Amino acid sequence: MAALQEKKTCSQRMEEFRHYCWNPDTGQLLGRTLSKWVWISLYYVAFYVVMSGLFALAIYTLMCTIDPYTPDYQDQLKSPGVTLRPDVYGERGLEIFYNVSDKTSWKDLTQTLHTFLSGYTPAAQEENINCSFEQYFIQKEFRAPNHTKFSCKFTADMLQNCSGLTDPNFGFEEGKPCFIIKMNRIVNFLPSNNNTAPRVDCTFLEENHKDFTPLEVDYYPSNGTFSLHYFPYYGKKAQPHYSNPLVAAKFLNIPKNKEVIIVCKIIAENVSFDNPHDPYEGKVEFKLKIQK
Amino acid sequence: MRAAEILARDGPNVLSPPKETPEIIKFLKQMIGGFSSLLWAGAVLCFIAYLIEFSKDKSASLDNLYLGGVLIVVVILTGMFAYYQEAKSTNIIASFTKMIPRNALVIRNGEKYEIPAEHLVLGDIVEIKGGDQIPADIRILTSQGCKVDNSSLTGESEPQFRSCEVTHENPLESKNIGFYSTTCLEGTATGMVINTGDRTVIGRIASLASSVGHEKTPIAIEIEHFVHIVAGVAVSIGIVFFIIAICMKYRVLDAVIFLIGIILANVPEGLVAAVTVSLSLTAKRMAKKNCLVKNLEAVETLGSTSIICSDKTGTLTQNRMTVAHLWFDNEIYQADTSENQKDQIFDQSSATWTSLSKIVMLCNRAEFKSGQESVPIMKKIVMGDASEAALLKFSEVVMGDVIERRKKNRKVVEIPFNSVNKFQLSIHETDDPNDKRFLLVMKGAPERILEKCSTIMINGQEQPLDESSVKAFQDAYMELGGLGERVLGFCHLYLPEDEFPDNYSFDVESMNFPTSDLCFVGLISLIDPPRSTVPDAVIKCRSAGIKVIMVTGDHPITAKAIARSVGIISANSETVEDIAKRLKIPVEKVNKREAKAAVVSGMELKEMSPEQLDELLANHTEIVFARTSPQQKLVIVEGCQRQNAIVAVTGDGVNDSPALKKADIGIAMGCAGSDAAKIAADMVLLDDNFSSIVTGIEEGRLIFDNLKKIIAFTLTKNIAELIPFLIFIIAGVPLPIGTIAILFIDLGTDIIPSIALAYEKAESDIMNRKPRHKKKDRLVNHQLALYSYLQIGILQSVGGFFAYFTVYTVQGFKPDLLLYLRPLWENDSLNDLEDSYGQEWTKYQRQYLEWTGYTAYFVAVMVQQIADVIIRKTRINSVFQQGLFRNKYIWVGIASQIIIAVILSSGFGSIPVLNFTTLRIQYWFVAVPYAIVIWLYDEFRKLLVRHYPGSWWDKTMYY
Repeated sequence: MAALQEKKTCSQRMEEFRHYCWNPDTGQLLGRTLSKWVWISLYYVAFYVVMSGLFALAIYTLMCTIDPYTPDYQDQLKSPGVTLRPDVYGERGLEIFYNVSDKTSWKDLTQTLHTFLSGYTPAAQEENINCSFEQYFIQKEFRAPNHTKFSCKFTADMLQNCSGLTDPNFGFEEGKPCFIIKMNRIVNFLPSNNNTAPRVDCTFLEENHKDFTPLEVDYYPSNGTFSLHYFPYYGKKAQPHYSNPLVAAKFLNIPKNKEVIIVCKIIAENVSFDNPHDPYEGKVEFKLKIQK
Repeated sequence: MRAAEILARDGPNVLSPPKETPEIIKFLKQMIGGFSSLLWAGAVLCFIAYLIEFSKDKSASLDNLYLGGVLIVVVILTGMFAYYQEAKSTNIIASFTKMIPRNALVIRNGEKYEIPAEHLVLGDIVEIKGGDQIPADIRILTSQGCKVDNSSLTGESEPQFRSCEVTHENPLESKNIGFYSTTCLEGTATGMVINTGDRTVIGRIASLASSVGHEKTPIAIEIEHFVHIVAGVAVSIGIVFFIIAICMKYRVLDAVIFLIGIILANVPEGLVAAVTVSLSLTAKRMAKKNCLVKNLEAVETLGSTSIICSDKTGTLTQNRMTVAHLWFDNEIYQADTSENQKDQIFDQSSATWTSLSKIVMLCNRAEFKSGQESVPIMKKIVMGDASEAALLKFSEVVMGDVIERRKKNRKVVEIPFNSVNKFQLSIHETDDPNDKRFLLVMKGAPERILEKCSTIMINGQEQPLDESSVKAFQDAYMELGGLGERVLGFCHLYLPEDEFPDNYSFDVESMNFPTSDLCFVGLISLIDPPRSTVPDAVIKCRSAGIKVIMVTGDHPITAKAIARSVGIISANSETVEDIAKRLKIPVEKVNKREAKAAVVSGMELKEMSPEQLDELLANHTEIVFARTSPQQKLVIVEGCQRQNAIVAVTGDGVNDSPALKKADIGIAMGCAGSDAAKIAADMVLLDDNFSSIVTGIEEGRLIFDNLKKIIAFTLTKNIAELIPFLIFIIAGVPLPIGTIAILFIDLGTDIIPSIALAYEKAESDIMNRKPRHKKKDRLVNHQLALYSYLQIGILQSVGGFFAYFTVYTVQGFKPDLLLYLRPLWENDSLNDLEDSYGQEWTKYQRQYLEWTGYTAYFVAVMVQQIADVIIRKTRINSVFQQGLFRNKYIWVGIASQIIIAVILSSGFGSIPVLNFTTLRIQYWFVAVPYAIVIWLYDEFRKLLVRHYPGSWWDKTMYY
């Protein structure tokens, strides 16, 4: 077995490369003549045009087959997630730390709440109807204008003391802050099979705070329930003006200068809060530290 | 006692094997060579990414750490695998080179011992006899008719006498030295050991040969070339997108992670394993066909061979003298020279033949070795020289039991052949009880025999030897000699009963019997006939564009005759001398361009300048080198290599080893070859047969084609793995496929199909095309790269993306929403991301959907790789011409792809780090239309390539 590898000097290699880039003898540019380049480019352009066409056709067909109101599958969205406002994320999830006497430390938090609730002013909710029947609002047909379905109003004032209307500081100033809890929307999701409304339940995370007195909470609307007439959600197309119902929780006995962990769960038949992988499914956990 | 001391001082009497690279170096080479370095870089990047993350946040996710670990495991595993494969195939040859232990008969302290030859020491007295291999360099002390075969050392094929006289100052020329590893043919001798082990003449030549360095093999160069291409693509795309990512204001950490993904997608991790396995499969297959390959890459080198320099004796010919022609009654008869000599069709009714056969039978000292009754005549071992053995076998075939007849015609006296007399004579009683005359029979060089004759036998009648019969004799002698055959003359004389009665005492010293005025009976010519399979093999070589050059130590006439009979010089081509003879002009006036063939003797070769040799090699297609020494073989090989040819050289002698080393592929003979030749060679022919070389070439070309197919198959999906990252960076969609899933394609689903391609049978044209040009025809040419990367690869990506979009769409994320969704999608603190239907997703729910996307993309690529492995079965033929089910392993491979994918996507893959999810049945079929498109498109490509050879399409699309 023997010599096939001749040692080339660097300048030889450079020369070869230059020759490859432009070969004056054959008029070859990067190994092809100009006309060859044109041909091959044309071929590839044609090839990609056809292929894009195929892809577009495939996507178009896919779009034609799907239902515009309901996703085909919801197996990956069985139980709704829960979010908290104000939401400040630290290294490990939600961390809300502020100092009662330092207004700047909670100004942003209340501002977040104000911004969030701006979607719940009567003006913003104008398109929606008033509901008070506390039953699932089942709509088989599209009775609302523009071939849509009706959505129930949820206005900020339903949150009473936590609406930001009576107390624009949401209780942050006196160390009894309001937090707003929102349940994620899932199309056609019914929280329970009987007529019990889902309820928010906030507690200190037990294991760490055994010696504490139980957390005292004021829920708004009362009992901390999401009224059933907000369910089911029929999707963006059917209910373009739908807004999630909210529950506000006002924590009354947060110890000062101490970090506590609070967990707010949604208690409902079809909502699970024990998925080990997903910390935000059916519950929301957050750290709270109020300094004085 | 003394012997043990010397043994301790000098070491055992064996040739030290060539220096081996230490195992650990070999192992480390596998670990860092080729793609491994890229993977190491990937692993290091992973760790850096983890460290960056860790320094910012103590609780950083361990994903990058895991990935780095997995990469290192991959590198080590594939490295170990490649090392194991190589070690295994090295062992095949190692076991072969290990020879049966040889013993030597040594006299120590006045007593004879049989000891292993490696325990011989300086000064030992050894006894050798016919058939022994000389165990060390010895000085002959006593000799009884000792003849040795020095051909493995000096290339002289004639047996040489050994005696105790110094005949020359140069030990190589002197008659009193027996050389290590040469064979004693007959006689006995005792000698004193003068050199052992590496200090023997052979040892010195062998160590000289091993210092001619081994260089890179063509396939190694090709694979390196391919690694460069892929690494170049990986690194440049990686860097370009790293810069793009930075410009797009991605964090450096993210950019590093993209870089890892791009490198991983581009590196075909499983390829090295697949290539090694297919090479060793071929090596095994070749061993079955009597080619033993020493290093794996040699298999492919053989396939690109463009010139074979073949020995004559034993390789092209049967390596035994055989009766080829007979001349009696003024006529030449042809004898059967095939391997079994069954059909002797010449006229056996003539009375002259009866006399001739008697002479042939009686005037012959050769005998069959005893105890071979059941062995076919042609395979029996004969004691005696080659010509005599040929005549013995010939008469045994034609006339039956020779030994019995010899007993009936008792030998009275004989004069053996010697180079002065140039004849052999014996006197016998006749088997006719009524005939009391003695029969004197004689054979020898025809001209010497004729001198001694005064009559000639024609049709059983003695006639005076007149001018016309002498002329007839001369013509026959010239003709047979011109065929390159060794001609022997035969004559006899019935001694008159009155002068030589029963009790006459013959004396060989005084020659008290007539040796002239004999009756000439006939001529018999002998030749070492070509092997019967060789002519076909030579034709095959020619159609495959391979030049066959014969290199032999024989006489030019013999060489030319054999070359003609096997087709190395084809029937209608002429040498310069032939043309001169035909046109009756002097040789100098012949236009050399007209002669296709050339016969060049060693003397002429010696006079030639390298330029003249180049011209000779370039202008003649059919060349025979005769009367060459083994050293000149090296000159010829170098000349061929200057023509940019890949040269295969056969050799058996020790002196051939430099040529074997120098050649691109050295082929040693398994039966006749010396150890040194086998050590120097890349391949050993177990049956010494030229046609095995051609079979080897076919296998070599096949492996080259199949490697192309394997690489094309493996490269294709790299694009389908790479595009997701590019789209991910540029269009900001959620990541379509994760790095772990990529590893599962490369090292999981794709491994068995790619190995299965190594079992693919040859396409129809394999032996009808020119040998590969080592600089122009690359393993991975731009056609292959472009077709795999930019056509099929892109098609696969499109199919994959369709599957990906399908999964997201049916779950609520329509394609338009996905564009530039990445910042929100990957935001850990966004747990209510809205989809196209207004539903809200937490981070983990999105993450899980992303994994489902990975799985769907993975399955889509797998499905399209099934189409890919089917289309890669052929490069030019339709898959249906090749036979869809002929290669069963392909289907095993496809089954393995599906099974692995099913296992991964049905729960086993949902182990935390692997990130596979369970997939709905229908997602499996999303990419099927694309698989069908791939198949149809490739059939269309092959159709056009077949129908328009030489067209633009052929040049652009045929890889």
